[in-house]
Amino acid sequence: MTDRAPLAVQMKGIVVQYPGGVLANNGASLAVASGTLHAIVGENGAGKTTLMHVLYGRQPPDSGRIRVEGVEVRIPSPAAAMRLGIGMVSQHTTVVPGLTVIENIMLGAEPHVAGVLRRREAVERAQSIGDRLGIALPWTASSETLSLAERQKTELIKALYRGARILILDEPTAALAPQEADALFEVLRGLTAAGGSVLLVTHKLREVLEHAQRVTVMREGRTVAERAVGETYADDILALMVGQRAATGVAPLAPAPAAESSAQPPWERGPASESGRFTGDRSSARPMPLLECRQLSVRPAERGPGLRDCTLEVIPGEILGVAGVDGNGQLELVEAVVGLRSPSAGDVLLDGESITGKSVAWRRRRGIAYIPSDRQTDGLVLDFTVEENLLLGWQRDERFGGGWMIDRGVTRAAAAEAVRAYGIRADSGGAPAYALSGGNQQKVVIARALAGAPRLIAAMQPTRGLDVSSTRRVHEALRDATRRGAGVLLVSLDLDELLGVADRIAVLFGGRVAGVLDRADADPKKVGWLMLGGQE
Amino acid sequence: MHSGGFASSLRHAASALALAVATAACVIWLAGGAPVEALAALAKGAAGSPDAILRSLAKATPLLLAGLAVSLALRGGLFNIGAEGQLLVGGLAAAWVGAMDWSVPAWLHAPAALLAGAFAGAAWGAVPGVLRGWRGTHEVIVTIMMNYIAIHLTHYLVNGPLRDTSTMAVATRPVREGAQLWSLPGGTHFSAGFFVALAAAAGVAFLFRRTALGFEIRAVGQGERAARAAGVPVAHTMARAMCLSGALAGLAGAVEVLAVHRRFLDAFSPGYGFDSIAVALLGGLSAWGVTLSSVLFGSLAAGSVYMEGWTSTPRQVAGVVQAVVIVAAGVRLLRQRRREEE
Repeated sequence: MTDRAPLAVQMKGIVVQYPGGVLANNGASLAVASGTLHAIVGENGAGKTTLMHVLYGRQPPDSGRIRVEGVEVRIPSPAAAMRLGIGMVSQHTTVVPGLTVIENIMLGAEPHVAGVLRRREAVERAQSIGDRLGIALPWTASSETLSLAERQKTELIKALYRGARILILDEPTAALAPQEADALFEVLRGLTAAGGSVLLVTHKLREVLEHAQRVTVMREGRTVAERAVGETYADDILALMVGQRAATGVAPLAPAPAAESSAQPPWERGPASESGRFTGDRSSARPMPLLECRQLSVRPAERGPGLRDCTLEVIPGEILGVAGVDGNGQLELVEAVVGLRSPSAGDVLLDGESITGKSVAWRRRRGIAYIPSDRQTDGLVLDFTVEENLLLGWQRDERFGGGWMIDRGVTRAAAAEAVRAYGIRADSGGAPAYALSGGNQQKVVIARALAGAPRLIAAMQPTRGLDVSSTRRVHEALRDATRRGAGVLLVSLDLDELLGVADRIAVLFGGRVAGVLDRADADPKKVGWLMLGGQE
Repeated sequence: MHSGGFASSLRHAASALALAVATAACVIWLAGGAPVEALAALAKGAAGSPDAILRSLAKATPLLLAGLAVSLALRGGLFNIGAEGQLLVGGLAAAWVGAMDWSVPAWLHAPAALLAGAFAGAAWGAVPGVLRGWRGTHEVIVTIMMNYIAIHLTHYLVNGPLRDTSTMAVATRPVREGAQLWSLPGGTHFSAGFFVALAAAAGVAFLFRRTALGFEIRAVGQGERAARAAGVPVAHTMARAMCLSGALAGLAGAVEVLAVHRRFLDAFSPGYGFDSIAVALLGGLSAWGVTLSSVLFGSLAAGSVYMEGWTSTPRQVAGVVQAVVIVAAGVRLLRQRRREEE
């Protein structure tokens, strides 16, 4: 098939070396046929995103050749990529917050007559693209009011508005409800049917198996394989992704291209999640809840509904998953629990005692740890060293001097110990946090949160953007904490993750608890239905 | 600081200075002067004799203290434009306490006057600090407004209630002997104030290296959201940083008053508080870097007076050197920031 169909994109021998000496791409190649959805998979640091940035003109390669629709090209800038019909929807969306949705879409390609903008023309064009794909957006609203999913759709339309025929999507479903993700793939199917090509960078094998026609596997900057999806098995792909390490602990996945959507990815099914689960009989006396939210209401952080009249509890030894489409009150819930946001009504209780109004530091001393969703801004001070980041928030703790002074000898030793215990790959505790990979940055955040044996861990998307093995390590760390008797409040936008590790799942919709399901009763359809506002 | 370390800061400062001197030479030459002679006079006036060096260090003293003030706040992410106002109220408070008839032991009088200056400066810094911490009001706006209040308030007080009517000068009563800081006879103005400033630099270095507060200030400056999420009391930290910053600036005014003028002269500061911003930026925000850059600026000030006296070159040429150095420091800061963003 690839021999006859014209290749939309062909990349050969791409080498990209970053200033630090890291070889992000080391002879990577890629061949994408027109009219296909082509998946690119690999662990963090495998070079997927770099390769896509080369194609989109964001990262000039040190060497290598690129052909687009059969013609050899150089792509020095995103503008050049757009002229060639290449569009990209990034992992971190690049929507300009001060502009309206339509202004964002037409930015740089504004229809105008003698310098006067023709906004209505732009809206009509965007609308017709949206109609074709079944996407509706509040065109004239400020883009600050958009949820992450809507921002993504804005970017998608922005790319198509510029006439993109080759569309790159980097982890597009990470923040979507299952139904939303299905809708997105419906859109993408429409695009490929019309002759467009879609490049999908993803960590989710199920998406690859269900929606892609071909898959390229990358490892350590190289392309290790390209397969037709119909002829390959999930465990083959997984083995190719992790290479030598495949043998260590990754259970084989049943060959199931058309598997039931409830099938769990293997990395979320390991022995860790089987043992230590809360097994208490719900009809008998439940243990005293560790954390309770009683009719908790919180005003919205920026937009959305905030949190409304939310009643939840976390008991010792369990992981309570919180599911929901982004912006349905998750942030407000977690920030009210850890003390960053004060509720407008209701109470937060720890061990049956109200802690509403207590500071973050006070709660932390009482054993509430926080793993924020954005590790680069909320989790870490990027310019600080690993040692300093591990100290953050503990700087007045007894272990390090207990007040005014900090004993640097002790902090250094503690950092060395954490680096060892959590397998943080850094030259030393003195390495700056920005120099670490995403997975290692997250290890630092988790090491700090778990220092001092917390009793309640509020984790917000702790595995976002992490690869298979880093994800598994995070889940193991959380599970270990529950074995010690800690409770975990785990917010995730990834339903697969919650179905894999949570003991119970609470679904937030419109700031309210739409339902709380035991894992045994939770299947993706049911949870997804609640996530989108259906009644239980 | 997250820069490439002290050595690279030093290298950069040296090359900036060389560029500045070359520019000044061009300017002098274009104006029809004799660049070599003029610059030789500048150097001689700055460091040509023991007296010249002492004069340079005396000029560096208020710049060092105020430079430390600006750099301390800036490490906490706060741009303290208000050093000038804090310096003025600090100077006035020191003059007031120093002039008091006091029955306590004389050796306590100078420390008490210095402390009064530091407290007044701290109070002046606390206002923008508290407003920023708890209300989010931008500290640049508030410190600028506080400058005007300080300038006009001290002007009023020294012309009205606190004026010494026995002299023509618009000044407060002279401070008593016990409150004066020791200074070298001979008109170099070199005083114990320089050692006060060095001690302050050591104190700031210690603050950032060893104390929980210094750590918190840096954390808030470099990652406010992460600091907040980790339980660092961000508002308190901002207020504390601004208090400390104001105290250092107030101390600068107190030292000038107690060692040089021996009274509060109306508008005695030629803009130390503003020059100190450049001193802080050039010094790369580290205490020892600020020490070096304040000595450089002090030397330029001392040298330019000498140059004007012995050649026909106006002292504003030293301003050219200063300006080029500041621009170079600014460029460096911008480049650093851009690198970090990438």
